Order: sequence, then C-alpha cells, then structure tokens
Amino acid sequence: MESMVEVRGLSKTFDGSTYILKDIDLNVAKNEVVAILGPSGTGKSTLLRCLNYLCEPTAGSVRVGSVTVDAARHTGSQVRLLRRQSAMVFQSYNLFKNKTARENVMEALVTVQKKSKAEAESIALRLLEKVGMLDRKDYYPSKMSGGQQQRVGIARALAVNPNVLLFDEPTSALDPELVGEVLNTIRQLAEEETSTMLLVTHEVRFARNVASRILFMEDGHIAADGTPEQIIDNPGSVSPRLQQFLNFVSK
Amino acid sequence: MKFSWEYFFGTFPLIAEKLPVTLSLTVISAGFSLALGTVMALVNYYRVPVLTQFLKAWSSFIRGTPAVTQMFFFYYGLATVSALVLNMSPLVAVAVVMSLNMSAFVAESVRAALLSVDDGQKEAALSLGMSNFQVITRIVIPQAVRIALPPLFNDIINLFKMSSLAFLVGIRDVMGASKIESAASFRFFECYAIVMLIYWFCTIVLTFLQRRLEKRCSAIYE
Ligand SMILES: Nc1ncnc2c1ncn2[C@@H]1O[C@H](COP(=O)(O)OP(=O)(O)OP(=O)(O)O)[C@@H](O)[C@H]1O
Ligand SMILES: [Mg+2]
Repeated sequence: MESMVEVRGLSKTFDGSTYILKDIDLNVAKNEVVAILGPSGTGKSTLLRCLNYLCEPTAGSVRVGSVTVDAARHTGSQVRLLRRQSAMVFQSYNLFKNKTARENVMEALVTVQKKSKAEAESIALRLLEKVGMLDRKDYYPSKMSGGQQQRVGIARALAVNPNVLLFDEPTSALDPELVGEVLNTIRQLAEEETSTMLLVTHEVRFARNVASRILFMEDGHIAADGTPEQIIDNPGSVSPRLQQFLNFVSK
Repeated sequence: MKFSWEYFFGTFPLIAEKLPVTLSLTVISAGFSLALGTVMALVNYYRVPVLTQFLKAWSSFIRGTPAVTQMFFFYYGLATVSALVLNMSPLVAVAVVMSLNMSAFVAESVRAALLSVDDGQKEAALSLGMSNFQVITRIVIPQAVRIALPPLFNDIINLFKMSSLAFLVGIRDVMGASKIESAASFRFFECYAIVMLIYWFCTIVLTFLQRRLEKRCSAIYE
C-alpha cells in the first residue's frame, strides 16, 4: 500500500532537556484514517504540528506525500513545499477574521496555488455546500457559531486538495450541542473521500467508528498502535495505562 | 484692562488666518511619523536584531523627554555641531522634531495593532503554504489597520496640539500670531483666549471624526 506519511526518528524539545516527542517512527498509508488518543500534554498536538512544521522538530525527518524534510538541514522553501502536502483543521478554528467564509476557502487557492479568482470561487462554493455552509458564504467569522466556523475551517482545508488532512481536536472548543454537526462532517469525509487523515481527538466513540487505526500516545511516544477493535474494545490486553485512560475519558 | 469684545472679534481673523500653517505642520508631520512609526513597528514585530534594541532605547528617550526640550535641543543644541541643522529653516526643523517625536507613539499604536492579530490565524495561513509576506499583507495588516486607526487618530490630535511648539522658533502659526498680537496690544487675555478657542474647536472637530472612525472600524468584518 502506498505510504503517505513517513516519520523517522522525530524528536522535539522546547527547552533542550525535556523531550516532548521522543524518537518517533510512524508510517501512514494512503487513505488511512488515524485517530490519535492520549492524555493531555503527551505530545499529540506537537506531533501533528511537526508534520507541517508549525512546530520545528529538533531531530528526525518527516515525509508527507512526495516531500521529505529533515530537521537537521531544512530550508524555508522545503518547508513551504511540505506544507502544501497537507492541510490542518484547528481546535480554535483559526479562520481569517478579515475574510468571509467564501474568501477563507478561496485564500490559499489564490495565493498559494495561483488559481484564478473564478476557479477558486467555484471550488469554494462547492466545498461550502459540501459542509452545509453555502447559505453563510458571505458571513464573516464573527457572525458564525463555533460549529459553523469549524465547518468552514474544514472546507478551507479541503480546498487545497491536500494529500493528508490533519485535525487537532476539531471539536474540543465547541459547545456540546454543536459537536455533532462537525463530527458528522468529518465522518462523511472519512467515508466518501479518498483522503488520508490524522485526527487528534478525545471523542473515543467517534474514533472507534471513523478511524481505521488508532494511536495511543504517552509521554512523547506512541505507546499503542492498532485497529479500533484492538485498542478500544480490548484495551486491557494492550496496556493498563490505556485502559485507565479510556475509562477516564468515557466518563 | 477690561475685556474688549471689539478687540476680540477684530483680532480673531488675524490669528485664525494662520491656521493653515498649524494644519500643514500637522499634516506633514503626520505623514512622516506614520511612515516612520510603521517601519519602527515592523522592525519590532519581526524582532530585527540590534535595530529592535536600538529602537527600544530611542522610543524610551522620546517618550521620556518633553517635546519642547527636544525642539530646543534639536534646533539650538544640534545647530552648534551640525551645519545641516544650522541651515535648516525653522518650519522644516519643527516638522522634523514633530515627526521624530510622534513616530515613537505611532510605532507603539501600530505595534499593538499588529500583535492583536492572534497567532492561530497566522498558523492557519502558514499551514496552507502561504509565505510570511502573504501572511502579513493579506491577513495581519488588514486586521491591524482596523485596530490601529482610532489610536493613530489620537496621535494626530496630539500632533496638532504639539504644532504650537513652532512659535518657539519664530514661526507665525496660530500660537505665534497670538504672541505677536498680544505683545503689540498688551491684550494678553483676549489673544490667548482666541488661540485657545481655535485649538479647542479644531480638537472637537477631530475628536468627532475620530468617534465616527472608531464606529466604522469596529463595524468592519462583521
Ligand atoms: N511552544 C511551547 N513551548 C514550550 N512547551 C510547549 C510548547 N508547546 C507545547 N509545549 C509542551 O509540550 C507538551 C506537549 O504539548 P502538546 O500540546 O503536544 O500536548 P497534547 O498531547 O496535544 O495535549 P492536549 O491534549 O492538552 O492538547 C506539554 O507539556 C506542553 O506544555
Ligand atoms: Mg493538543
């Protein structure tokens, strides 16, 4: 199976002594939907952010799609090429506040992919429709609910047609009643799109249903890696810490 | 001496007709201090090494000394060591001091506005492959302008009042004109009342404009 993400010996330290990520190796195949679970502060976000160099790794190499970047010798232009391989959906949406829903989705198409305004617009409208936000296309983020902003955030990520979609706790900042609409949008993508996803989440049931593979992170390394059946249905046979964690979050 | 309304109304136009001098000093210095202050703010925003530290000291110096002292130091003090300053016309000298002074305040207004754009938006833009230049020009600056305009307008109001320094080096602005009129007639009360009213009126107009600008700014992107 074609490999879409390949991480080799990835380490990250912010202060030079405590390692947030410790020598991580990871391979993700094309069309895999990988959910990343784990207690707070174990490096899940950092791992995801190293994949697009929002966070610069201390050591190791990262390949996404066809672009490989090595921490020891990377250049700005390599990093930009790497970033064009993926797109990220953020916990706090991070929509551009000076742009409408439509303009948010169009932005990278025009500035990065150099598409014409007309082409970018037709892509934006198609994707806004897909996430159910077409009727809000001319709204600024300040006039949208969290769930609506996040769905636009998903459309913005889809627009660049990335090889890999990265989600960092896409529903954690949402009011409980809005979580469903965003999870449904992601589930729909996971089912119908031929796209590769890495998804940090605390929604264990959602991960169980949507992911084809689950990683459990602990202290900056991947402590367990398996199918949802292995990891979520039989955590006890994997590790007691995993079982403890799942008991804790499912409450 | 009794307050003379006749003198008051007779002299008012003589002083008010110097308003263009005051206003052009304000406008010219506003232009230069906006440009200079924005560059200073960008240096600070990108933490350009050495320059950032230098500007920090410079800004503390400018903000920590009175404008009138700066004016005298520049026009009379530096003139003893610099032929450039010595040969400078008073009008240019005042504009230079006003621009340098206000640029430190402008830099602070612009800096705060640039910092008001959260890192999350910048990360989102970078994660899509946008360049730093695209991030600053398409995402940060459009939002910063909206935050910066009201305080910048305040800086301009301060600049307008600061232009009264010009009379100290012999320029006939509204302040200079009232000094000259009052020295001739000894009607200090009337003359300085006139100039106070002129400044006050203009500031009221500017403040009114600022309020409207503030409303407009807070309504963009909503
Ligand atoms: N910019 C930074 N500077 C210093 N330390 C950081 C920075 N970013 C993250 N950390 C530290 O790295 C560790 C891992 O952070 P990370 O955000 O990756 O955890 P996480 O698994 O995503 O947690 P959560 O579930 O709370 O989001 C934390 O201890 C955090 O304090
Ligand atoms: Mg996190």
